[in-house]
Amino acid sequence: MSNKRRYTKKYCKYCEAKITMIDYKDLSLLKHTLSERYKIMPRRLTGNCKKHQEMVEKAIKRARQAAFIPYIVDRKKVIDNPFKALEE
Amino acid sequence: MRHYELLIILKPTLTEEEVKAKVDFVKEVLEKNQAQIASLQDLGMRKLGYEIDKHQRGHYFVFYYKAPPSSIAEIERIMRITEEILRFLTVKYENKKEIKQWEILSTKGKIEPQKPEKIEQKEEKETQTEGEKAQG
Repeated sequence: MSNKRRYTKKYCKYCEAKITMIDYKDLSLLKHTLSERYKIMPRRLTGNCKKHQEMVEKAIKRARQAAFIPYIVDRKKVIDNPFKALEE
Repeated sequence: MRHYELLIILKPTLTEEEVKAKVDFVKEVLEKNQAQIASLQDLGMRKLGYEIDKHQRGHYFVFYYKAPPSSIAEIERIMRITEEILRFLTVKYENKKEIKQWEILSTKGKIEPQKPEKIEQKEEKETQTEGEKAQG
């Protein structure tokens, strides 16, 4: 308690950009809330407000369904993908 | 009549003519089920996030249309039967905000170029403000 917070306060990036709706096809909007392994990041880490977090969650789940982004990223997939994509 | 969006992924193995034929087929299906198509967007060939039926890529199309809710079941049934469609996704736009979004999306040719720029600008601002804070 005695120590002051050294880091800057987190804020919602979507509020900052004044976004009213998040489209699942617009991947650049989803990027902020996705981890490196394409997991949905929690609010306490991203600083999203609740309203936008809920919208992003929905959009991410739709994007997964539409195969815009993967559900999981594992070792097998990392090895598999590049070679097959080149062959096609 | 409600506002809907239909996304379909076609197999990458199809030739151009076959792709055209399939898109026309989907259009016909929609129109038969009393749908008014507002716009059709071709998102082109994209790499899939994960394999679907051993395909690494897919050809994306998005339809924006208005239709009575009762016809959705029939449209989805036909989408499921059609072999060339790897995946489909129907999204309903219900309240005022969503309908506004639908109108924006359906009138614009492409959505992607505009929004990312905004965010980038914001990020620049963030760094500036942080820098100012540090100075202060």
